[in-house]
Amino acid sequence: MRKSILGAALCALTLPAVAQADCGEVSITEMNWASNAIVTGVAKFIMEEGYGCDVTVVPSDTVPAVTSVAENGEPDIVTELWLNSTGEVYNQLEEQGKVERLGKVLTPGGVEGWWIPTYLAEEHPELKTIDGIMENPELVGARFNNCPDGWGCRVVSDNLIRALDLEESGIEVFNHGSGETLASSMASAVQSEEPWLGYYWGPTVPLGKYDMTKVDMGGYDQAVHERNMNADTDNPGVSDFPAAPVLTSITTDFREREPEVADMLSKMTFETAHMSALLAWMDENNASAEETTVYFLSNNSDIWSDWLNDSARQKLAALLN
Amino acid sequence: MATYDFVFSKLGLQDWCAQDQSTGPMSMKDLLSKSRGETETSQSIWEVPFPSMDNLNEACRAFPQSRELTKGLENGFLSVKDSLSIFLDPLTQPLSWFLDGALYFMLATPWWIIIPLLLLVVQLVTKSWRLVAFVGFSICTLAFIDHYEYAMQTLAIIFVCAFLCVLFGVPIGIAMSRSDTMQRLTIPILDMLQTLPPFVYLIPLIFLFSVTESKLYGIAIILYAIVPVIRLTNLGIRLVDKDVIEAADAFGMTKQQKLYRVQIPLALPNIMAGVNQTIMMSLAMVVIASLVSAPGLGVLVLRGIRNLELGVGLVAGLGIVILAVILDRVTKMSLARINASQKS
Repeated sequence: MRKSILGAALCALTLPAVAQADCGEVSITEMNWASNAIVTGVAKFIMEEGYGCDVTVVPSDTVPAVTSVAENGEPDIVTELWLNSTGEVYNQLEEQGKVERLGKVLTPGGVEGWWIPTYLAEEHPELKTIDGIMENPELVGARFNNCPDGWGCRVVSDNLIRALDLEESGIEVFNHGSGETLASSMASAVQSEEPWLGYYWGPTVPLGKYDMTKVDMGGYDQAVHERNMNADTDNPGVSDFPAAPVLTSITTDFREREPEVADMLSKMTFETAHMSALLAWMDENNASAEETTVYFLSNNSDIWSDWLNDSARQKLAALLN
Repeated sequence: MATYDFVFSKLGLQDWCAQDQSTGPMSMKDLLSKSRGETETSQSIWEVPFPSMDNLNEACRAFPQSRELTKGLENGFLSVKDSLSIFLDPLTQPLSWFLDGALYFMLATPWWIIIPLLLLVVQLVTKSWRLVAFVGFSICTLAFIDHYEYAMQTLAIIFVCAFLCVLFGVPIGIAMSRSDTMQRLTIPILDMLQTLPPFVYLIPLIFLFSVTESKLYGIAIILYAIVPVIRLTNLGIRLVDKDVIEAADAFGMTKQQKLYRVQIPLALPNIMAGVNQTIMMSLAMVVIASLVSAPGLGVLVLRGIRNLELGVGLVAGLGIVILAVILDRVTKMSLARINASQKS
């Protein structure tokens, strides 16, 4: 009996030491959109090669990932977490001390809004504002391409439509069934230089690939935007979309287990414009997300070398020139 | 040194290989070996890669990579797309009108006209008051929990698509039953439609048609649901008793008369079973069609999945089950009536 207690105590003593010397098993999410495949790929490479972790990639989506963290405390790392789409659940998790945010993985953050193609904006400068669009609905094809049901932006856009009385001005609202059809409606319009008006967000492949101009809604008003985020709000208003905070978040448990890795993740950040450029490169070269990851790692070592600690920098010296 | 260098040097193609460089981006494998500082060691026989396009490209840079195959397919499709849609667009336009018209009719007409109308149809085809009561109760339940509009959208889509399936499926089935060549040609296509995952043919459809038009999901549903009615019409007519046909011949019936007076009436139970299956399959497709902007209960199911709103998803799923039971009962009951009338 005594022996086993001693053994257990020994184990307990040695385990953290082992973990510190060599990082153990780590799970990280990979959301189902293009930019996240790159972020996760870069994080995975650095953790495996620089810190010696054993990384498992968990394919997921924003809400399922947060729910999984809430229910199981897994995965350890949720990256490219669009805070606006998680709702109250994430804040509750933070209050309970289950997760902590590490910083913005995209700076200044995600861009959201209503967009028109730039060639349209150049031809008719009045379309750059929402008032101009509502006065000339036929110039944007008299149709607004709305978000699919179930997306956070759908609620906001619906409220904006109500506040603007968009349909009254002769613009039909088309509710897309999925992000894929929303993207392909934009792609086919831009390719044939037709008018288009719709919601989109970045960094994404379409926004990196096509030259789009954001429609001015007359400035961002925090109070109004927060009101717009609730479905069936009483008095929806008109406000621009703010830059969406896009974070890396880890479980507090993981912070205790792997402080070094957590430190690296907190420094990991991409500029939004750079991410869009990467996505455009990916599309141009018909490359996979993995190849884009490699492209970033091999061409931008000045960016990511700042994230590392000394021992990791040593291990990856061959790539850092 | 790549594994397949010898192939190109044997064939004397080094010059061709050297002239044109077709290199893809660096792969993860290259990066890993660079970061670990590993130099290439001789390969054992266990590690010989399959001579795939990518592996051959490593030996000879002029050899195309497999990504160029996908790129080529994409470009090929995009170049025929325009001429294809000149032809296909007007051809399929009526489908958009039908769907939009049906949706408009179902939603613009007040509920106190639509519900009795539906019940009247049920009474006419089944002659069963119990079923009418059941259908009335189910629809009122859906309406009571504020799912009336979604359910009616789904019903409208199913009515249009199932009607068109029968309209095209039965003649195709009849043609198949009359000609063995036609049957040989059609069956592989039917097999393909049934085994292709619906998502796969959504991809070319999205490129071919404007995604904001309702015919996109209409075509997807029809392609998926038309198969059983074709198969069972063909089967039903082929299963008509040879003796009966002989008797019809003895009466000196023309081919036309035989078809309309003998074969189709006797095959009707099978055809109706096909119609029943077609309706059920178009209902099954409704959720997937919601991904390409079909309105109805499928949208709610998708929302339930996206936001993990368990309740929304469950209620919408239950709504679909209720619609399925209604449609199944009604078509089965009318099938039973036909069977009974044939026996007597």
